[in-house]
Amino acid sequence: MSDENLSLELEKLCIHYKRHDDLLSFIKKVHEKCGYLSPENIKNVASLWNVSVGEIYGLTTFYVFLSTKPLGQNVVRVCRSTPCYLENCDMVIETIEKKFNIRPGGVTEDGKFSLQLVSCIGACDQAPAMLINDELYGNLTPGKIETILKGL
Amino acid sequence: MITIKLNGSNVEARRGMTILDLCKEKGISIPTLCYHPQLTPTGACRLCVVEVEGARTLVASCHTPVAPGMTIQTHSPKVIQTRKMIVELLLSAHPDFCPVCNKANVCELRMIAADLGVGLPRFRTKKRYYPIEDDNPYIIRDLSKCVLCFRCVKACREVKMANVYSVGYRGHSSKIIVDNDQPLNKEVCRQCDVCVLFCPVGALVLREERFRKISRKPFIIKG
Ligand code: SF4
Ligand code: FES
Ligand code: FES
Repeated sequence: MSDENLSLELEKLCIHYKRHDDLLSFIKKVHEKCGYLSPENIKNVASLWNVSVGEIYGLTTFYVFLSTKPLGQNVVRVCRSTPCYLENCDMVIETIEKKFNIRPGGVTEDGKFSLQLVSCIGACDQAPAMLINDELYGNLTPGKIETILKGL
Repeated sequence: MITIKLNGSNVEARRGMTILDLCKEKGISIPTLCYHPQLTPTGACRLCVVEVEGARTLVASCHTPVAPGMTIQTHSPKVIQTRKMIVELLLSAHPDFCPVCNKANVCELRMIAADLGVGLPRFRTKKRYYPIEDDNPYIIRDLSKCVLCFRCVKACREVKMANVYSVGYRGHSSKIIVDNDQPLNKEVCRQCDVCVLFCPVGALVLREERFRKISRKPFIIKG
């Protein structure tokens, strides 16, 4: 999408979210549309909402699901909160690291995958768990991870 | 007017005032760090906690309004112990180069620590070291010393109405940021030292004061 189209569209969207005073949902929407929040996007949102750039940047960096750096096409989010930690989420992280040859927070060279470490995703009963895009995978084992990643 | 039991005696309070206001009126001193009379309260540091009967936890007095029938203890053993622990934790995450810090003799953190009798912290925690930011011709920021009281954020917003600072990141990596986490270098900072005056520690200093003795009066440290 060209820059002009995008800012027009954001402006339209903004009206709806402003009515509900819902800045966070608006940021989520922008994130969805653009894949990540670039400095450019942050500036746009800030001026649309009439707050400082720092405020939007602060809000974005507070939530792990919002990114200020470009993400891969598929985002693998591994939970490392306490229940998953106890069920060996390190194994999950290591397996994926080895498979893609990236570190947490990184993107593979072909831009297909990025790996992120996140807080509880509400699947503690299936720990260790991870999300790939919007899909939840639980009770992970090295073998299981291998099959899941192959199927993508 | 409402009646409140403060440290065992009945006192009169006005509706809407905070517990801290009431204590000040009655001459009871409560340590505070993130609170400043000219700014709206934040409730970030929890140093001002007091015990309120029936409350689930200790409450921060700087932003809790008084309510009829409250029973408050401002210096119970539990309260003192909590305050000491908070200061100890703050100190353990704070760099220990006070001897070369130019705000050392006006540092509120040191004053509070001395008042509460907290010495060297027992904990060895990861310190947050950041490069010193001296891009700004007027203000030098050394965020390693920052205690995240948010007073600069509020002062810039409420006193100067400039809104230069905000809070970024989360948890241990929380940080006071400018725009997209850029070094502080803004035109509005010209001739303005509001945030420097509000910073309780040496995180914000004026360039011209950097290696000089601060001419402000040092705090009197009560033993
Ligand atoms: S820079 Fe100073 S005033 Fe600002 S949050 Fe840190 S300690 Fe508080
Ligand atoms: S801790 Fe991993 S899903 Fe809750
Ligand atoms: S002074 Fe009340 S919480 Fe900091």
